Amino acid sequence: MKVLSFLKPYRIPMAAALSLMLVELAVELWQPLLMARIIDEGIMKNDQGTVLRLGGLMLGISFLAFAAGIINSFFAAYASQNFGFDLRKSLFEKVQGFSFANFNKFPPASLITRMTNDVNQLQMTLFMCLRIALRAPLLVLGGVGMAVAVNIKLALAFILVIPPLLVFLVWIMKKSAGLFKMVQERLDHVNGVMRENLSGIRLIRAYSRGAYEADRFSRSNKELMDKTVNALRATETAIPILLFFMNLSVLAVLWFGNIDIAAGTVSVGEVVAIVNYTARITMAFSMFSWIIMVLSRAQASSGRIGDVLGAEADLTSGGERLDKAEASGGKIEFNHVSFSYPDTNVEVLKNIGFTAHPGETVAVLGATGSGKSSLFQLIPRLYDPTKGNVAVDGKDVRKLEFDHLRKQIGYVPQEALLFTGSIRENLAWGKSDASQEEMVKAAKDAQIHDTIDSLPDKYETLLGQKGVNLSGGQKQRLSIARALIKKPRILLLDDSTSALDLKTEAKLLKAIRQYQCTTLIITQKISTAKEADQILLMEEGRIIAQGKHEELLAGSRLYQEIYESQLGLEETS
Amino acid sequence: MIQVKNAQNKSSMAGTVKRIWVYLSFHKALLTGVFAMVILSSALGLLGPFLIGRTIDTHLAAGSTEGLGLVLAGLAIVYLFYSVSLWLQNFWMIGIAQETVFSMRTELFTKLQRLPIRFFDKKQYGELMSRVTNDMENVSSTLNSSVIQIFSSVLTLAGTLAVMLWLSPLLTLVTMMIVPIMFLGMKWITSRTGRLYKEQQRNLGDLNGFIEETVSGQKIIKTFSQEEKVIQEFLVKSDHLKQAGYWAQVYTGFIPKLMNMLNNLSFTLVAAAGGVFALKGMISIGTIVIFTEYARQFTRPLNDLSNQFNTLLSAVAGAERVFDILDEGEEGADEKEALRLSGIKGEVQFQDVSFSYEKDGDTVRSLSFRAGQGESVALVGPTGAGKSTIINLITRFYEPDSGTILIDGRDSKTITRESLRRQMGFVLQDSFLFSGTIRDNIRYGRLDASDQEVEEAAAAANAYSFIKRLPDGFDTILSQEGAGISQGQKQLLSIARAILADPAILILDEATSSIDTITELKIQEALGKLMKGRTTFIIAHRLNTIHQADQILVIENGMLLEKGTHKSLLQKQGFYHDLYKNQFKRDTAKAL
Repeated sequence: MKVLSFLKPYRIPMAAALSLMLVELAVELWQPLLMARIIDEGIMKNDQGTVLRLGGLMLGISFLAFAAGIINSFFAAYASQNFGFDLRKSLFEKVQGFSFANFNKFPPASLITRMTNDVNQLQMTLFMCLRIALRAPLLVLGGVGMAVAVNIKLALAFILVIPPLLVFLVWIMKKSAGLFKMVQERLDHVNGVMRENLSGIRLIRAYSRGAYEADRFSRSNKELMDKTVNALRATETAIPILLFFMNLSVLAVLWFGNIDIAAGTVSVGEVVAIVNYTARITMAFSMFSWIIMVLSRAQASSGRIGDVLGAEADLTSGGERLDKAEASGGKIEFNHVSFSYPDTNVEVLKNIGFTAHPGETVAVLGATGSGKSSLFQLIPRLYDPTKGNVAVDGKDVRKLEFDHLRKQIGYVPQEALLFTGSIRENLAWGKSDASQEEMVKAAKDAQIHDTIDSLPDKYETLLGQKGVNLSGGQKQRLSIARALIKKPRILLLDDSTSALDLKTEAKLLKAIRQYQCTTLIITQKISTAKEADQILLMEEGRIIAQGKHEELLAGSRLYQEIYESQLGLEETS
Repeated sequence: MIQVKNAQNKSSMAGTVKRIWVYLSFHKALLTGVFAMVILSSALGLLGPFLIGRTIDTHLAAGSTEGLGLVLAGLAIVYLFYSVSLWLQNFWMIGIAQETVFSMRTELFTKLQRLPIRFFDKKQYGELMSRVTNDMENVSSTLNSSVIQIFSSVLTLAGTLAVMLWLSPLLTLVTMMIVPIMFLGMKWITSRTGRLYKEQQRNLGDLNGFIEETVSGQKIIKTFSQEEKVIQEFLVKSDHLKQAGYWAQVYTGFIPKLMNMLNNLSFTLVAAAGGVFALKGMISIGTIVIFTEYARQFTRPLNDLSNQFNTLLSAVAGAERVFDILDEGEEGADEKEALRLSGIKGEVQFQDVSFSYEKDGDTVRSLSFRAGQGESVALVGPTGAGKSTIINLITRFYEPDSGTILIDGRDSKTITRESLRRQMGFVLQDSFLFSGTIRDNIRYGRLDASDQEVEEAAAAANAYSFIKRLPDGFDTILSQEGAGISQGQKQLLSIARAILADPAILILDEATSSIDTITELKIQEALGKLMKGRTTFIIAHRLNTIHQADQILVIENGMLLEKGTHKSLLQKQGFYHDLYKNQFKRDTAKAL
């Protein structure tokens, strides 16, 4: 199993923890023997010196066991916590490399459960194993050995029960691993409903759907409960059954013992001894089965973690960079590009071809759902085209290093996504070492500086997740500033000015023009499109017209319609 | 109100345990059953070995086989009942524990539905999610095993103590010498683990929040090539969790070891003291042997109890974080006499309303206006002027700091929020869609709408044709990243949702801004029909929406600068006139 290989670096602390556990066990076994000697050599012989000497020895070794136990704690905690840390790290790094197709398979809520809850399960299991796991099998083995030494024939009466019980335990373990997997899946679901409710809280409030959502949550919560109850009950059935058969075997020992005593082949003392060993083995056995149950739960979790680690990121970085000469300033080419989203078969882009020359502004127009945003996402390689290719400065983007490619692109998506933290931290996403001047410059160009300046904490103002304490327009402008601070060679504005009023928008577009970058802008406004060097008019995934404003006005029926619709709007005012 | 501090910040461990107990006590009958089964299994657990001892004496030692079969059959029945009682106690307890966890989770969720919106403004989603999953997980695993363990430990402890006292009060006293040491040791350890568990759960919540945010924000992380930075930040948080977890585990690990040592210590003490007493002839050797066995029996339940205590601490750490949320101030409960509205006219009036998100600086300042039944009101002004805030006040997402808002002439505070919002339809800035089918998403506007009504609403919002073009039509499932559905189409769907709701008051917040103009014209037409007879508040930047409005409110810096119709405001030659001239007029010129 892939997850087990994460134990490798901790072989030494694990071995240390296990040996310390053996020390404890040895002390535990030695003590009754010492006790016997205190009685035989001390008390029976009326020798107070021996009583005290052996008593002192007993005390000494119990401190030894104590010390071993304490040190074991450190090693066990060290190994398990680091194991958990490493797992989380690998999972997180893996997820950072995921493509959006991967995210379709592992929805966020599930990834979150796997990275916290499942890792915790494994971590707890390892800690427990390093502290007590060896004990149970050793006690069983020891007990069996002693019983065999006493009388092999009688011992067989219960030893024969052990293999079928082991088979039974393994069977239950397999079964409950499956049940626990379902528990974790239900947990994903609960997590998912919760997440959706948090992000949609405003809508839910607006429509007074609290009760409806509570009902939905309650249903998925109930499923989680039912699955948990199932899994736990299945595992808890094991111990009573196990105990019953072990106890029956004691009765068998008594029965055969009685016959053998009558035959004179065995002494009463031997029968008593074997009965005692059986009792001990039974104790150890129930502990053993408990451990197996914990392991079965861990098995479910480790499977889920393994699934994530084993997933192939289907979008991988190319190895090339553009050298100085090639990096001519942000030329973008689309060559016969078709695209459909992963796991769907609807083509949202069909045979797209166009070139945006360095420094040009290209406006992309089209009805909603015509493929404008999809087209944008191919440039920073959030997705790869299904046919054709996208090239930046003459090089297919698939050949370029992710970092290198994306560093040149300032992308402002439609929904302004901000992160918890200060405004400064959010702007620093664009350039981590940006100076105050650079921040102010970008903020001014994005027409957001005045707003920031009017906030009590200015650039240090803390934003909630998704920037909820800003208005839609403010969020958009902040995310534009975040892109501008990169000084990108390619700027992608995905209808990013939609929530801005016309005055602010005009100022913003003017400021952007000073940046020497190739700009692609999705817009609905003819007024914005008119200023562009080139207009792409899209319909149902195709570019149906392409050219300057005047050319389109003369040649495209749809463009004329759009123009007239807006003209109409303005005229009636 | 903004920093809703929990009332019992320093809720003690005892308090938290008591609160968990309240949930458990709903299952008193079953708990009694569990308790009875624990007593039964303990008794049978003792009876079995006792009977075996007797059988050895009466049959094996005596060499008699007479009636052995019968005795053994009797024993088999004892063991059968023993196993059944064990099974039953676990079976019931698992049910009780999971029902408890279920109720706590549901209560937590319901509570979230009642918290004021501003509570969510500064909370990370993932952090809240951690409380529902990871923190509750602690409670769950503790309840499953601890209650039974505690029952049976206490029982065994009491029983053993009684037998020990009966055998030899003197040696019992010697054995008890370890109890104070144990107590001190436990106190030392749990004072640390308690704190560490809390820290661990907090760090876990923090990490969960970070994971959620970075998974949701993948688009930005990727295009800004910030993977490395995010990973570094993650490692710092993950390391904090590791540190807290490490020390929590180390200290927890001390407990059984400490108990083991004390166990051995008492064993030695009994042996040594017993030896000395025996030499002096005060007790018999047999008593020592029996006593050492009982001393062991005595420490085992103590050992179990101390382990359970620690598990309990981790549950308490989890439960406290859940209770923290349950103790948050709610969305100002509706007034006692609050009225449930139905079938209102839709008249909205602001009287001198002021409000600010933060304590400092007003976002809206002494605002007064009136929107009559069926009127459309356009809110105009620069971005961030306070237009969205006005909407938040009408919907009572936020309560005004001063002034009153009247609905049909009634102070909106005296109306239940739920019934008030039922009178409203919304198209909000974020067109949020739930995972589920398109049909379900539209039906969210009115849950009892028929399929046909849903489709009619979609048609009215001009969403019908694009939905029909999708392979699964209305049954298309919208997944995580909404692949295949554009932002504009999402807006169409949320308009359809509002149409279906058939509200008296309609709220459109920058709804039409990313829909192409041709579609928008069609929507305008649909909305025009929809708006008829409904009071409508619109935040829009399109001129035609604004100029068709019955009333325009010009807002700047949270203040109402001007109000009136397009015509009257133009004639007034004030701020609106300038705004119009500077923006729209120039824009018109460009378009031409």
